Amino acid sequence: MTTLTDLMTHDHRQCDGAFASAEHHVGRGEWDAARTALALFGRALNTHFGAEESILFPRFEQVTGMSHGPTMVMREEHRELRAALARLERAIDDQDADEYAGEAETLLIMMQQHNMKEENILYPMCDQRLHSQREELALDIGRQLGAGSPTEVSQ
Amino acid sequence: MSAGQGPLSYEATPPFHVPLSFFLTAALFGMAAGVYLLIEPEALASRWTPGALALTHLITVGFMLLVMLGALMQVLPVVAGASLPALRPMAASVHALVSTGAAALAWGLATGRPLLMQGGALLLGSGVLVFLGAAALGLRRSAASQSTGRDLRIALIGLAVTAVLGIVLVLALSRGLAVPLRELTNLHVGWGWLGWGGVLLAATSWVVVPMFQITPNYPTWLTRLWAPLVLGGLALWSALSLAGSPATATSSGQVLAALAAAFALATLLLLRRTRRPRPDASFRTLQLAMGSVMAGALCALIAIGSDHPFWPLAAGVLVLHGCFVSAITAMLYKIVPFLAWLHLTQARVKAPNMKKLLPDTPVRRQLILHTLTLPALLIAAASEASLFTRLAGLLLIGEFAWLLFNLAGTAARWHRTMLEGVPSARTPH
Repeated sequence: MTTLTDLMTHDHRQCDGAFASAEHHVGRGEWDAARTALALFGRALNTHFGAEESILFPRFEQVTGMSHGPTMVMREEHRELRAALARLERAIDDQDADEYAGEAETLLIMMQQHNMKEENILYPMCDQRLHSQREELALDIGRQLGAGSPTEVSQ
Repeated sequence: MSAGQGPLSYEATPPFHVPLSFFLTAALFGMAAGVYLLIEPEALASRWTPGALALTHLITVGFMLLVMLGALMQVLPVVAGASLPALRPMAASVHALVSTGAAALAWGLATGRPLLMQGGALLLGSGVLVFLGAAALGLRRSAASQSTGRDLRIALIGLAVTAVLGIVLVLALSRGLAVPLRELTNLHVGWGWLGWGGVLLAATSWVVVPMFQITPNYPTWLTRLWAPLVLGGLALWSALSLAGSPATATSSGQVLAALAAAFALATLLLLRRTRRPRPDASFRTLQLAMGSVMAGALCALIAIGSDHPFWPLAAGVLVLHGCFVSAITAMLYKIVPFLAWLHLTQARVKAPNMKKLLPDTPVRRQLILHTLTLPALLIAAASEASLFTRLAGLLLIGEFAWLLFNLAGTAARWHRTMLEGVPSARTPH
C-alpha cells in the first residue's frame, strides 16, 4: 500500500524536476522558456503546499491536537519558500542570470532542508497517526496534486 | 515527540557560532598539518613514522572529526528528528575537549611523549563520549525511523569503536600494554575510515546527492544493505584479525574495500544523471572525492600484498585528503552560507542570497588549489624527497588558509548584515 510518505516524497521529486528545468533554461539565456518553466515549478510548488495546508496538516492537527506543533513550522517555511519563488520571478523579469543563480541556490537548499524534515519526520508521523484514514487521504491528496502536476516540463 | 514544535522548528537550530566554531577550528588543524609537513618532511617516509601518525590525527581528528561533529549538531534535528539536550553547553564542551585532545594527541604522537598522548586520548575520549551520550538521548526520543537515521546510528557505533581502539593503542604506545599493535592499528584505521567516516558520508549522500544535485535516488537495495554490510564486514574482519586468522581476515578486508568502491561508483554514476545545469565546483569536488575512494581502495588492496611503504601512504592520502577533505570542503561551502542566510532570515533581517554570502570565484579557486594539493601529496609520498614534501606542505597550508578565509568571509558578511539590520519584507499569509 502506498504510504503518505511515498506519495508526498514522490511529489517533492516532481517539483525538483520542474525547478531544474527552469534553472536549465536560465543557464542558456532562454528567458521565455525559463519564465514558462518557472511558472510550472511555481504551480507544482503551490499545489503541493495547498494539498498539505488544506488536507494533510488540518487532519494531522485534528488527530494529534498539535496545532502549534510541526505543521506550524512547516507553514512558516512554506511562506519563506513562496517569498523565495517571488525573488526568482523578479530575477527572470530583470533577465539577471547571476541574481537568479544565487536565489536559485538559496531556494534549493531551503526547499530541500524543508523536504528532509517532512520526509524524515512529519510524513512518517502522519502515516503513523493517520493510519486508519490513510487510503482516503492519499486519494484526496493525489487528486489535488494531479491537478497541479508539472507534466509539461521538459529540458 | 513532545507537543511543542520539536526538532522541526527553527528554534531547534543551534546558534550560528556553534557549528561555525567547529568549522573554523577544523581549518586551523588542516593548516597545522601543512606546517608540520613543511618542517618535518621525513614524516612521509612510511605510515609508521611518528610524523605520519601525528599528521593523520591532525587531519582525521582535528579537521574531519571537528567538522563532522559541528555538522551533526546542526543536521541531527533535521535529518533524524533528534533534538540534542543542553545543546549550547554540550557543544562548547565537546568543542573544547576534542580540539585540545586533537592537539595534545598529535603533539604526543609526533614527540613520543606518553603523558601528552594519554592526555590527548583522555580529552578526545571524553569529548566523543559527551557527544555520543547527547546523540543517543536525542535519537532515542526521535520520531524518525528511516534508513538515514539507522545509518547515522551505525556511524556513531563506528565512531565509538574507533575511539576505543585508539585509546587502547595509546595505552599500548605509552604504557607498553601488550596488544597486537599492527592488527589493532589496522582495525582502528578500518573502523575510522569505513565504520565512522564512510558510513557517515554514505548516510549523508543517500539524502543530499539526490536532493541537491537533482538526481534519481540511489538504488534501494544499496541504501538498505550498504551500511549494515559494512558494519558486519568490519565486525567479521576484526574478529578474524584478532583470532589470528590472517588469510581470512585479508579476504574480509578485500570485501570491505569492494564495498567502499561500490558506494563510490554508485555515487559517480548518479552524479552523471544530475538535472542541474553547469555543475559547480562543489559538484566536481564530490566527483574527485568518489574517484579518490576507488583509487584509495585499490591502493589499500595492493598494500595488503606489498611491503613497499608507498601503497599504505597513498591509500591514506587518497582516502583522507582525496575523499574526506574533498567531500567535507564541498559540504562546508553549501552549509555555511545557508546557515548564515537562515540565521539572518530567522532574525527577520533581509538576507543576501547564498552566492552573495559566499561568491563562486574564491570557492572555485580554493577547490582548484585543493585538487592540485592531492597529486603533490602523492608525489611527496612516492619520492621521499624533502623538496616535494615541503611543497605539498605549503600547498596544504594554502588550501586550508583559503578555506578558513572563505568561511570567515561569510561569517563577516553575516555579521555585517545583522548589524545593518534591514528588516525583511514578509510575504502575506
